[in-house]
Amino acid sequence: MSGRLRTRLLGWWRRLERGHDLLLVARWRQGLRKEARREDDTLRALLLLESLGVDNPVAYETLDVVPYLVADFHAWHRRMGRDEFGDAGVCC
Amino acid sequence: MPAIVMVLIVGVLFYLGYRYYSGYLARRVYALDDSRPTPAHTMRDGVDFIPTNKHVLFGHHFTSVAGAAPIVGPAIAVFWGWGPALVWVVVGTIFAAGVHDFGAIVVSVRHKAQSIGTLTREVINTRARVLFLLIIFFLLTLVNAVFSVVISNLFVANPEAVLPILLEIPFAIAIGQYIYRTRSAALIPSLIGVVLLYASILLGQELPISLAGIAAEDGLFTERNIWVILLFVYTFIAARIPVWVLLQPRDYINSHQLFIALGVIGLGVLVGWDTIVAPMVNDQTPDNSPSWFPLLFVTIACGAISGFHSLVSSGTTSKQLDKESDARYVGYFGAIGEGALALGSILACTAGIVATTADWHAAYSDFGTASGDATSNFVNGVAHFAGNLGVPEATAVVFAAVVVISFAATTMDTGVRLQRYIVQEIAEIARIRPVARSLTLSGIIAVLIPLVLALLPGGGEDGYTFGVLWQLFGTTNQLTAGLALAVVAVWVTKSRRNPIAVLVPLVFLVVMTTWALIDNLLTFVAEGEWVLAPLDAIIFVLAVWLIVEAALALRQARSGSGTSEPVEVPES
Repeated sequence: MSGRLRTRLLGWWRRLERGHDLLLVARWRQGLRKEARREDDTLRALLLLESLGVDNPVAYETLDVVPYLVADFHAWHRRMGRDEFGDAGVCC
Repeated sequence: MPAIVMVLIVGVLFYLGYRYYSGYLARRVYALDDSRPTPAHTMRDGVDFIPTNKHVLFGHHFTSVAGAAPIVGPAIAVFWGWGPALVWVVVGTIFAAGVHDFGAIVVSVRHKAQSIGTLTREVINTRARVLFLLIIFFLLTLVNAVFSVVISNLFVANPEAVLPILLEIPFAIAIGQYIYRTRSAALIPSLIGVVLLYASILLGQELPISLAGIAAEDGLFTERNIWVILLFVYTFIAARIPVWVLLQPRDYINSHQLFIALGVIGLGVLVGWDTIVAPMVNDQTPDNSPSWFPLLFVTIACGAISGFHSLVSSGTTSKQLDKESDARYVGYFGAIGEGALALGSILACTAGIVATTADWHAAYSDFGTASGDATSNFVNGVAHFAGNLGVPEATAVVFAAVVVISFAATTMDTGVRLQRYIVQEIAEIARIRPVARSLTLSGIIAVLIPLVLALLPGGGEDGYTFGVLWQLFGTTNQLTAGLALAVVAVWVTKSRRNPIAVLVPLVFLVVMTTWALIDNLLTFVAEGEWVLAPLDAIIFVLAVWLIVEAALALRQARSGSGTSEPVEVPES
């Protein structure tokens, strides 16, 4: 098999792989990301219970983690259907 | 008539529908505007909201909506002849399904990509949300009941298909783990998985698995009923484990199978040049047969119009739409894809199944036989098309059975899981806390009700009850479509555009569904079917409720009161 033909066949194969990935695998990977995000959401909700108005018995122990979660808190409450959340200036 | 001629005629009609009618909808009814950013851009998060190329999004949308339902409905409906079934599939796809699927995407995109369930509350009212939940509850109950019967009947008729279906589970899990753990291209492992699945068909032919030895001849524990019970045990477990472990990998393999099956039907018809042997209108139906009018319109739901599509359109598709004009291609053309699958089923059961008209009449001798054997008829038809391509007939039958069982099993997996959520949500509204909070209790309820329906006498042996359950499933599917069309019609009316293109399929659908429900109710009462009659009556009440809500909401929308969204600037 000549080098040119081999390169061309390889190019076609790569395109096929990419098409397959976009059409079928991407949807499946999206499902995985969704599941991972659901678990993150559960953790976030547990750690930020007090901002939801629920007493958190381990708030003192988890206080150190909160600054790391504020960054994506905004994205979370928008996803949950609320454009704004909490007191003015706290988040958005 | 050669089957290929029918394919060409329907292809031209679908093309005209897409070219002109969807263009009219896009311009005059939905007023698509590419200058409006879609939620995929404004709410982009890289998971749910991602702007996606329209061809890729079409692939995602189509593989989500296509399944076993557009196969089974037409396979039963050709009992009345291929003419009525084909006309309803073509007209329904062009003037109802396209409007519905396309509209559901657009209305969702204009409302932050909210799901149709939420939109019923936003656009109509809170009562409509409860109505939506109840319709979905009955829809899922009937989906799970009928598909368990479909699978069980195929297991009984094709014991060679049992082993490949069992082996599909570890194959799917293995591919799932590969995709989960690596970031490299998955084409080769996926091809290996699909090849292994089809190679296991040969193994299945050597090792058929039948429960005939332990099953009773009649009563509760017949072979079919034992399969039904085992299936519900399996789905109860499958609904408890994370979706990415089993459900999504199975769905992923099925996406490949869908394209393979469509390719086999298309090429088989082209190569074989088979003739349609069934009559255009079947004038040899027994006197006690149900009339095609209005039952045809609920027997074929998926394939002509299906409310389930609105859940997909507004659930995932609207979140990935790159620009509004893509909704026409993804939604309307997606409906045409489903119509093409229904056409494949009609061809398999009228051209592929047998060689002569007399044999066809024997296979479709009465409504019970036509219903009970519908899936087997499709399987045999597809096997014939695969035979045209050189696949040995016995292997081709198992291949077709594996494809249909895979679709139906994944639908059941999803159906039982969703039913569990719906049971919990209804329990929450009704303040039944133990059910709302317990996965086990809600799961048991989600499984028990369809199990009882599936075990009703006549489901498999003579097929009559299955045919009736299928029609009831069709009515709930059409009511879901009616609710989605009502939401779209109210939105179009509030936007000061002419809703006639949405109102016509809405009114037609609601009238035919209600008529079919009354027709069936009278038959059930006359025949003393005391499980089916109350079920039918409840769905009838839901249909009346839907009519009232839709009428009130449209009246309010016309008068301009009770709006929940800002009125748009009228079209110039």
